[in-house]
Amino acid sequence: MDPFLSFTEMRDKLRKWREDNCRNSEQIVDVGEELISDHGSKLGDDVWIIYEQVMIAALDCSRDDLAMTCLQELRKQFPDSHRVKRLSGMRLEALERYDEATKYYEAILQDDPTNTAARKRKISILKAQGKPAEAIRELNEYLEQFVGDQEAWHELSELYINEHDYGKAAFCLEELMMTNPHNHLYCEQYAEVKYTQGGLDNLELSRKYFAQALRLNNRNMRALFGLYMLAGRGTKENKCSVKAVEEMLESMQITMS
Amino acid sequence: MGEIELSCRAYVKMHLHACLFPRCSVNGLLLSSGAPGGAVCVTDCVPLLHSHLSLAPITQLALTQVDVWCSQTQQRIVGYYQANACASDSSPTPCALKIADKISEQCSNAVLLMIDGGKMSPHDRVPPIVMYERKDSKWILKDKHTIMLRQWEETRLIANQMLDSGDHALLVDFDSHLDDITKDWTNQKVNNKILELASPANGNV
Repeated sequence: MDPFLSFTEMRDKLRKWREDNCRNSEQIVDVGEELISDHGSKLGDDVWIIYEQVMIAALDCSRDDLAMTCLQELRKQFPDSHRVKRLSGMRLEALERYDEATKYYEAILQDDPTNTAARKRKISILKAQGKPAEAIRELNEYLEQFVGDQEAWHELSELYINEHDYGKAAFCLEELMMTNPHNHLYCEQYAEVKYTQGGLDNLELSRKYFAQALRLNNRNMRALFGLYMLAGRGTKENKCSVKAVEEMLESMQITMS
Repeated sequence: MGEIELSCRAYVKMHLHACLFPRCSVNGLLLSSGAPGGAVCVTDCVPLLHSHLSLAPITQLALTQVDVWCSQTQQRIVGYYQANACASDSSPTPCALKIADKISEQCSNAVLLMIDGGKMSPHDRVPPIVMYERKDSKWILKDKHTIMLRQWEETRLIANQMLDSGDHALLVDFDSHLDDITKDWTNQKVNNKILELASPANGNV
């Protein structure tokens, strides 16, 4: 990282990372710490959201000192805020004080039962404690209420994949594909799940969805290789010519070695 | 069962792989350039995935490609390693057992290595790993006295140095290769860096 970034460059980088929801915590801590300490007064109202961003990144890098600094500033400015309480809870999670963290979140939910952030943190705690079955159950209950939450559907599909429950993982990905028909990643992940399930029908679906992913993004290598591995299988009418896939690979100048 | 030796290069790359993706489960293959029979020396490793470890297609693809590379470079796949996302749990997952089973079909004294995330620190006195071997169709803990890691101090120093200087970002696993096909999953750059850092007096890492 260039050590001589200007104030505006640092602030813009942090904004971009916020917008893209990147988890490059080491970089955020590097840039954010310097920005806050050297240019804090120039940030105006942006400073609060930057404190939040840097605090979460600091927790990710085990920088409790930095996290506390940011948290204390936020507590001073927003003493009754649920959003800041959630950050306090996250700090307790980072210190593995899960029972205390859960109490924080339950207090928020008592006050405001629709607070989705607190519910999601409770589910994250279950995940961190190695309780996937409970996490899955809670997440399912959450999704019954908040059926449009894409992030939650994706998290649920990941949990099901880890538990080898491919049928349910496929269901989650189907929900995501319905609401995001142009997202090649969901198609490709769905194809991978179907491939893993195996059996003629699933492999046929897998081939179709690898092809769809490739249609949406012809640089999706996983989809290309998936299609290559399935080419030549399946019923006679649907046999995708191995030669056609090889030609596609050739045109992208990739060989199997 | 038999003795096994873990080389500096293999250990450092595994360690860097786990450190590069601290929030994910990671896995990879252990390779040997020695002849079959007798003690196994794990001379290298190939980092594979850091996402969706239990999905089949990419794993199959990776195994095929590594197999081809091995036959071209006189190496064999002799084992499998995994580091779980949940650092407090270092027990082998069903998918780890499945892949290890597949490897042991081709290599009778294959090993399954789990990295114990909870024990990793810059000052480990012993390597934070747990090894399993196959006996009667089950994977059982390997006797610690049959596991050798020559120059553990030096290996640990090299790993720490590479982490401090940010060189672990150079490591390419198969997943990263699929995101950018120009990246080299055989990690020649990292191999060379490790050689550079190893003491010149020691010719054999």
